[in-house]
Amino acid sequence: MQQLFNFNLEKISSSKKELLDREKNLKLFLEKGLPNKKDENWKFSDLNLIVNKNFKKITNNYDFEFDKKINFIKDFEHNYIILVNGSLKSSNLKFEEKTKVLIQKLNSLDELNYHTGNNLYSLNKALSSGGFDLVIKENYKCKKPIIIYNYFSSNLDDKMINNSNKIKLEQNSELTLIEYNISEKNRFLKNTFENIEIEKNSILKNITIQKTKSNGYFYKHISGSQGYNSSYQNFILSSGLKFNKIEVDMNLQKEKCNCFILAGLNLAEGEHQEIKTRVNHLAPNCKSYQKIKNVLESDSIGIYQGKIFVKDIAQKTDAYQLSKALILDDKAEFNAKPELEIYADDVKCSHGSTSGSIDEDAIHYLMTRGIELSKAKKLLINGFLSEIFENVQEEKIKFFLERIINEQIDAI
Amino acid sequence: MKSEELKNQEYKYGFTTEIENFKAPKGLSEETIKLISQIKKEPKWMLDWRLKAFNRLKVLKEPDWQKPKYPKIDYQDLYYYSAPKSMKDKPKSLNDVDPKLIETYNKLGIPLNEQKRLSGVAVDAVFDSVSVATTFKGELDKKGIIFCPISEAITKHPELVKKYLGSVIPLSDHYFATLNSAVFTDGSFVYIPPNTRCPMELSTYFRINASETGQFERTLIIADKGSYVSYLEGCTAPMRDENQLHAANVELVALDDAEIKYSTVQNWYPGDKNGIGGIYNFVTKRGACRGKNSKISWTQVETGSAITWKYPSCILQGDNSVGEFYSIAITNNHQKADTGTKMIHLGKNTKSKIISKGISAGKADNTYRGLVDIGAKALNSRNYTQCDSLLMGNKCGAHTVPYIKNKNSSSTVEHEATTSKINEDQLFYCNQRGLNQEEAVSLIVNGFCKEVLQQLPMEFAVEAQKLVSISLEGSVG
Repeated sequence: MQQLFNFNLEKISSSKKELLDREKNLKLFLEKGLPNKKDENWKFSDLNLIVNKNFKKITNNYDFEFDKKINFIKDFEHNYIILVNGSLKSSNLKFEEKTKVLIQKLNSLDELNYHTGNNLYSLNKALSSGGFDLVIKENYKCKKPIIIYNYFSSNLDDKMINNSNKIKLEQNSELTLIEYNISEKNRFLKNTFENIEIEKNSILKNITIQKTKSNGYFYKHISGSQGYNSSYQNFILSSGLKFNKIEVDMNLQKEKCNCFILAGLNLAEGEHQEIKTRVNHLAPNCKSYQKIKNVLESDSIGIYQGKIFVKDIAQKTDAYQLSKALILDDKAEFNAKPELEIYADDVKCSHGSTSGSIDEDAIHYLMTRGIELSKAKKLLINGFLSEIFENVQEEKIKFFLERIINEQIDAI
Repeated sequence: MKSEELKNQEYKYGFTTEIENFKAPKGLSEETIKLISQIKKEPKWMLDWRLKAFNRLKVLKEPDWQKPKYPKIDYQDLYYYSAPKSMKDKPKSLNDVDPKLIETYNKLGIPLNEQKRLSGVAVDAVFDSVSVATTFKGELDKKGIIFCPISEAITKHPELVKKYLGSVIPLSDHYFATLNSAVFTDGSFVYIPPNTRCPMELSTYFRINASETGQFERTLIIADKGSYVSYLEGCTAPMRDENQLHAANVELVALDDAEIKYSTVQNWYPGDKNGIGGIYNFVTKRGACRGKNSKISWTQVETGSAITWKYPSCILQGDNSVGEFYSIAITNNHQKADTGTKMIHLGKNTKSKIISKGISAGKADNTYRGLVDIGAKALNSRNYTQCDSLLMGNKCGAHTVPYIKNKNSSSTVEHEATTSKINEDQLFYCNQRGLNQEEAVSLIVNGFCKEVLQQLPMEFAVEAQKLVSISLEGSVG
């Protein structure tokens, strides 16, 4: 294990105390190492195996300089935040009131002490290079979406990025946050922990997109809590990474909140993606809706592990979970574990999971109408995935997502 | 069933038979295993097999991933062999069997006297660690069907036992299976010769009587090419305030074109209202569809036991083979169940179907845990899974933990699950037509379970329906 990891903690520590703290956490991490499939949460994605197979040595990153120009998205007006290798570089919130949207550098997520079982959290604390802390003040609805340009420099081979972010929406606020990953062909690891707090009557829409194919190995853990009548909508469209695991752990603390997790993934050769969710219904009258769609080509692996937990007081819960996979190649694989844990009786909870190939009848139908096979397939795949981002209300963003999905499908 | 009747219905099989027992000394050791083997007059290869399992057991750890947790079992404080003294020399015919035992089975509603039986069901009655009697032997012999206690099969048909024992559940499979392999006492052995349709239902009735005793039975069913058998299993135990362990292994082998239908009505003592006593039912059941076009179908009605922890599984090796699993698991008071199935698709064009109904009342916890694994070579395979849970009250829990793996593009997997409570409208409708609350619930629950109850053979279906009503007694209102 020590041979694989070669971290320099001194270089990233600003004080003796910090160094000691980092050393302590690194020691904790090294005791257990990377999670493997013996760990129920990593049953389908043996991270230890994957990392050992693809990396010979790993060092931490302490370079946060730009080395290229960013091509901004021109499809719609937006504010932006630029992160270079996970660390906050600059921001431009020109469409918003200065006192209402606050952003600053975050050093570590100290209050997040409930990841006791998660060894990657110890690693994150040991090596964290910060991230951002975003606050939307109460009664403020953001006029334009904020895009996070998640930029990765070109010297990241065999490096590991550890960062942590915090997003807070105060009462009656609203925000659309788009995370846009841009990376070069480097082979690197990223380990992110994010905390989201959505207060009473607030709405957060969170969209994750991967721009180009990347050799990145990403892990992201999102944990959050929701107040009364709040809404959280998470769209995950991050195809293109070699390995990606997104864990969402959402606590519906107060009545009448709703939580949507929607993912549309189109995985190509050598890609391995896992979405793991845990939606905790802790108060009555809440609603949660999860829909995960995977298109699997070549030897890709798609995984969905979802859990709905309903506490005994959370009556009138309406929870739904659906995972669908289109397997296009005999080498591809889809694994699912949609789990329900329910302690309240007046609830409506259901889940469904299907996997199979493209419907032959539908292809036949299209071909009889003069559409050639490959086009017919693409049309059906498009229909399969577009159901996910149809739930995005802003027209311009929807068109933008549609364009990205179409580009991905054309590449098949 | 009237509601007063329901209310007064305690666990009716909770009596104890006063009978003199012979027990092996307490504790799990090489000596105990040797003693069991000696009493059973087993050949050396069998003893060696047991000892191999025992050695393996020493390095195995008890699994702990299950949902229902239980206090640590002291394996040295158990009796591994207990038999009525009168059974020491095996009675030659039913007339020689201790009348007390015959009476016990009469009380349980299983008359062993063949003349008295109306329906054609052949019974093997297992009392603690020995088989008491097997009925209708003559008739089955004529067809070449072997239906006897496994201890008898080990001496009379060693070639079959040697070939198939442990071939589905390997000796070192997991802790409880290995424990069973080391100390198993009795159980049934069935062999159906090629192209034979077993003319009657075969049935084993398990009874735990002695206290501080674990029951470790082993059942092995082999259906040769083109044969068919339907097998039933029933179980009861006296009411005691201690927890008793029941760790059985059941292996099924279906060769080309053969079909095995295995039905269980499990009604072990569930413990009292406060969760004291009851059986720990930790059973390993697994079937291998080895031949082409073979079929194995599991049907289970699980109403008893303090903890039920089992996953009757199918390994679909042969091309075009079919696996089915129908289950009702009812938990009330402090009962806990963690049950489901594993469908492992290896052959081409294999199909599996899973229908699971879980009902949870009182302070009980009910978990469905299942695996559907479609291998890369199992082309054109199909699975359909439906698991529904019903919750009665907000102190109980219902959980669903399915694992779904699909490794090829020509196979289709479908999984559906719902959790809800009894529909108010349906209740209201029943009440309006003069049914009281309990009768209405019983009716609706029976309807909820209908798909599974239909799969049971006639004789069992009626009994199972009653059991469903009784198990939920006191859970409404």
